[in-house]
Amino acid sequence: MSTTVASSSSGNKMQMEVNPRGIPRAPFVANVDDFVSGQNGSAEGIIKSFQETSAKYRYMEVSLQQRKKALSTKIPDIEQTLSVVLFLQRRRQKALGQPITEEEGGDEDGDDLDDLEDDDAGDKEGKEEPLKTLFELNDTLYAEAEVIETGEVGIWLGASTMLLYPLQEAADLLSSKLGAAKKSLGETIEDLEWLREQVTVMEVNFARVHNWDVKRRRDQKNSGAGAIAAAASKGDEEEEDEEDDE
Amino acid sequence: MSLLPPEDEGDDGIEVAWEDQQRINTFSKLNNRLSDIQDQLKGKQEEKEYYDDLETELELAYDDAKVLYKMGEAFFHLGLSEAKRQLRRDLKKYDGEIQTLEGKAGECERGMKELKVLL
Repeated sequence: MSTTVASSSSGNKMQMEVNPRGIPRAPFVANVDDFVSGQNGSAEGIIKSFQETSAKYRYMEVSLQQRKKALSTKIPDIEQTLSVVLFLQRRRQKALGQPITEEEGGDEDGDDLDDLEDDDAGDKEGKEEPLKTLFELNDTLYAEAEVIETGEVGIWLGASTMLLYPLQEAADLLSSKLGAAKKSLGETIEDLEWLREQVTVMEVNFARVHNWDVKRRRDQKNSGAGAIAAAASKGDEEEEDEEDDE
Repeated sequence: MSLLPPEDEGDDGIEVAWEDQQRINTFSKLNNRLSDIQDQLKGKQEEKEYYDDLETELELAYDDAKVLYKMGEAFFHLGLSEAKRQLRRDLKKYDGEIQTLEGKAGECERGMKELKVLL
């Protein structure tokens, strides 16, 4: 019996294993016999606790899926805003006759684009023309507007607040937000994959303990008194189990 | 209660090794990831095609033509050369994104192939 205790305590150690966001790993039942006897021999109680754990994993899964959805609409939003800000910034620098600093901090993984030359080449023409835009008033309704370039943009921060930022600061802010959102999305996806695995493990555990339980009961019935005498040492729970058997 | 005939239900049938379980988990994880990536890839490629079409369209445009170029939710009146430059920038971005996605998809496929041999 001491060996089973040892193995079940190593099973507990596995239970403590967590992924980077603290979601615990599901315990895997390697040997049903050992596992059940390690848990006071009550298959009923084990199945119940398995179901609880599964339900927790599923709950987490649903909330993470929502988060993933929110992030995957947010990221293109930020990307688009950033690309407009960068565009305005380039225009502004050109208008002021400043050298064009293609920092492109916001561009994906920070890989700087090599269209520096392109910009220099086209530097002469189209310098002072006002920027005309068509902007969306509502779905399918557009209005024309001329943009007065002040070197600042208003960024909608949420909570009914919009702040004016200088272009450079706006670009920095947006790219840092974009990076954070992407990182968070990556982590969420990782967590979801992790959760899926744990749910599968729990399902397998559940099925195996259940089958084991069914088999044990049938054996008990079939083999009669000898088996009952052997099982009697395991305690009273089994009798309770039998009432629920259907 | 049990649907299986007793002889199929022996311990050998139920025993699942932890290693196999992990391999199965990894396989399903990769499979999910792959289909996720393929969805994204499809979307990106579609968007890129629009830009490709636009590129040919712009080649045909007159030099002094004004182009309405969409960025974010607004259209900007741009000179042709400026529009082309912006277009090139956008195309490059899509190319990069598509390449990273394809790389990831390839990784998943490789992993799955390895696991298939083991299972």
